[in-house]
Amino acid sequence: MEASDGSVVREVLAGDAERYRVLVDRYRERFGRYAVALVGDPDLAEDAVQEAFVKAFHGLATCRDPDRFGSWFFRILTNQCHDARARVRPMEDVARLPLRARDRTDATVDRKELADLIEQGLAVLTPEQREAFVLKHVEGRTYEQIAALTGAGIDALKMRVHRARDTLRDVLGERL
Amino acid sequence: MNDDRRFTAEAHTYLDGAQTGPVSEADRSDADRLRSAVEAYSARIAAPGRSLTDAVMERVERRGKSKQPVWRWVFEPQPIRLRPIWAPMMAALLLVLWLAVGNRGPEGTPPLVMAGADTVFVQFRLVAPEASAVSLVGSFSDWQSDQYTMGREDGGVWSLTLPLAIGEHQYQFVVDGQRWVPDPTAHAQVDDGFGGTNSVIVVGPRGVVRS
Repeated sequence: MEASDGSVVREVLAGDAERYRVLVDRYRERFGRYAVALVGDPDLAEDAVQEAFVKAFHGLATCRDPDRFGSWFFRILTNQCHDARARVRPMEDVARLPLRARDRTDATVDRKELADLIEQGLAVLTPEQREAFVLKHVEGRTYEQIAALTGAGIDALKMRVHRARDTLRDVLGERL
Repeated sequence: MNDDRRFTAEAHTYLDGAQTGPVSEADRSDADRLRSAVEAYSARIAAPGRSLTDAVMERVERRGKSKQPVWRWVFEPQPIRLRPIWAPMMAALLLVLWLAVGNRGPEGTPPLVMAGADTVFVQFRLVAPEASAVSLVGSFSDWQSDQYTMGREDGGVWSLTLPLAIGEHQYQFVVDGQRWVPDPTAHAQVDDGFGGTNSVIVVGPRGVVRS
C-alpha cells in the first residue's frame, strides 16, 4: 500500500532523509506539467520545481499538517514558478504577440501553431489567472479540486478562469 | 478589453463542460477553437523526469555524505542524538558518578545534571535548517518566548534539554522570534484556542510517557 504523505513526512523529520524521495516522485509527477505551463519553459520549470522541493525539505518542520503536504508544497511550488517566470519573462505586451497565424486559413494552422498560441497567450495573463486557467484546462481539474488545492473560493476561481478565457479570446481570437 | 469579445455566461458554462442554454454560433466556434488549442498545448508538455528526483535527493542528502578525515571528526563538536526516554536514566547515571567521585569542585558549584524528585530531563528537538533562532515556549514557561533558547546543532537541528515536572505539558517552538510551530514529532496535538496547534508531552516518573 502506498505510504501516506503524513507518514512519509514524519519519517523524514525523524531523520530518514532518503524517504523524501517518495514525496519528490509523487509530486513531480502530479504537479510537473502544471509547473511547466506556469513558467512557460521546460528547463526553467525544472529548476523551479527542484528549488521548491529543496525549500520544502528544509522547511518541512513548519508544515503544520503533514497529511496535507501536497497542498503545502503546491503553494511553495506555485510561488517559485511565478518568481521564475517574472525573473526571465516579464508580462508580455499583447501588441507584441506574433501574428503568425493571422493571415492563414484554419486548415493550415496546425497543432504546433495552436499550442504556440496558447503558450504565448498564457504570458499575457496575470499570475492568478494563469494559475487557475492551467489547473482548469491544462490539468483538467474541477473547480472543487482547484479550491481544495489552492484554498481559494470557487466563485473567485471561476472569475479568474473566465477572465483568462476572455483575455485569450481577445488577444488570440483572430489567430486561433 | 472589447466587451463583444467576452464569452457569454452560457459560453463559459459550455467551456466548463456543463449543460447550458443556447450558445451563439460565434461563441461556440471560438470556444471550440480555444479548447482545441489548449488540448494541443497540453499534449506537448510533460512533467520533469526522474533525473529531477535524483538532483533533489543529491542536494538534500549532500550534507550527510561529505567525507572528512577521522581526526577532524574527533576534534569537532558532534551532535549526540538521545531519545527523551533515556534522558532521566542518563541524569541518574551522572548523578551516581558525581556522588561516587565526590564534589571536588568549588563550594557551591551545583551538580551538572540533576533533576529534582518530581522532575525529569527531557530533550526537545526541531529540524529547521533555515531558521536563525528557535526558542521553546510552553505551559512550563508561562508561554514566554525568551526563556528557553534552543541551541543549533549540525544539520539544522535545534535542541534543548530541560527539567520538566511530572505531568502533562503543552508547548510550541518559536522560529525566528515570530513563527509559532508545533512539534511535528509529537504524538498528540491540541487546538491552542488561537487558531494554532499546541503539542502535548506527558512526563512520568520514569521519563516521557507520551510525546
